Amino acid sequence: MRLVNLRFVYATLIGLVLAGIVHIAAVLAIPRLSETDAVSRARTSENLDHPQPIYTVATGDEPSPPEAWLPIPDPAVAVGVCAYDLADGPMRVSARTGPLSLSLAAHARRGAFYAVTDQAAVRGALDLVILTRAQYDEALADDDENDPSRDVRIVAPDNRGVVVVRVIAGLPSQRPGANAAVQAVSCTTDMPADESAGKPAAR
Amino acid sequence: MSLAIPGSPGRRSAAGDDRPAPLPRSLGRTGRLVARVWRKSSVAGLAVYALALGGVLGLASADWATRGGYPFGGVKVGAWTAWPRAGAANADPYTRAVNARRGEIPLAVGEGLLLTAAVDDQGQALDATCSYRIGGGTPPARAWTLTVAGRGAREPGRPAVREGFTSTEVLRSADGRFSVVLAPEVQPGNWLPSPRDSGPVRVALRLYDTPVAASVGSLDRESVPAITRLGCAS
Repeated sequence: MRLVNLRFVYATLIGLVLAGIVHIAAVLAIPRLSETDAVSRARTSENLDHPQPIYTVATGDEPSPPEAWLPIPDPAVAVGVCAYDLADGPMRVSARTGPLSLSLAAHARRGAFYAVTDQAAVRGALDLVILTRAQYDEALADDDENDPSRDVRIVAPDNRGVVVVRVIAGLPSQRPGANAAVQAVSCTTDMPADESAGKPAAR
Repeated sequence: MSLAIPGSPGRRSAAGDDRPAPLPRSLGRTGRLVARVWRKSSVAGLAVYALALGGVLGLASADWATRGGYPFGGVKVGAWTAWPRAGAANADPYTRAVNARRGEIPLAVGEGLLLTAAVDDQGQALDATCSYRIGGGTPPARAWTLTVAGRGAREPGRPAVREGFTSTEVLRSADGRFSVVLAPEVQPGNWLPSPRDSGPVRVALRLYDTPVAASVGSLDRESVPAITRLGCAS
């Protein structure tokens, strides 16, 4: 009987150690395997030229539409996402500043890697280009020295991710404007001028 | 109770030793095989038990730790908790798992800062039946919103009166400070209706385009709104 007891204690200890390993592995695997995270959910918008509205603020009697998946959204902030896949080419996000404050944040699976607000805009325009390291080097090499580009170039840690557009409506009367301002942002895939996109990858 | 689990194969193996003897010869060989399996099963049973314990306990604890709010990474400032790293690329694995499970898009460091409060300044949990004054100043920010939410899904059929105030629309006193009253009954001034009839509520303060997101340590009790309990209905 004592032998069984001792064995039972050993088995329990082994079980607890296993539980620790399983716990750590599961927590680390959740972001990788999740199908409900923002990057996976936003995939459907990949070939749109404008952000997919994921939270449009309520205007008048119209409540927020059911496409909102954010758990506790800010009721005064309109949110849209553009999904990108850098394998297709660099992602260009262009926003024109308006009366409402706007912010752009680039998220990959690990979290946000860059954020900028409309206060950084040059002459009312904010151009954010998200690229891979190879595409960045290529863009630098192609730059015209006499006419430097005004793009904000960001190297992404991953090929896939989302750009989140947030527009704050300070007053209820600004809410339709905030929803429209999210839609007015354009997200396009930059096509390389000469079809040499494959070259840096082969290097 | 739990001792019965590993004990039972052992006891059965003892019974299995006796059983093959009276069996007919044709069944003797299979009987002996069954007996051997039973005897070994005390070890196999323990192995299965250890694996099951590890698997169930590990998965259940991982599920528990990544369900609901962020387990770590908060910075306490008075009644509030700031979450500066929730959206950062170097967030801890639990925060990343929580974000992935909920589909949350947290505010990035350059975008803003989220502060939440589930208790008042005295440390008592915020309750929907009580009224509170949330007032004072806020840390410097281009815009902020103060919102209230109950835990879990919104009650269907409840008219949405107001869920929060923005820095633009809140009524202020002459010195620029504000005072919002969170109460179930209508109040003069900045009235924030309780989101539900009873149960715990949470208040969120979102600062947009704020320099404090990068240095949460500089926040102190004086710079965030105070939450004072005014009274309870019951």
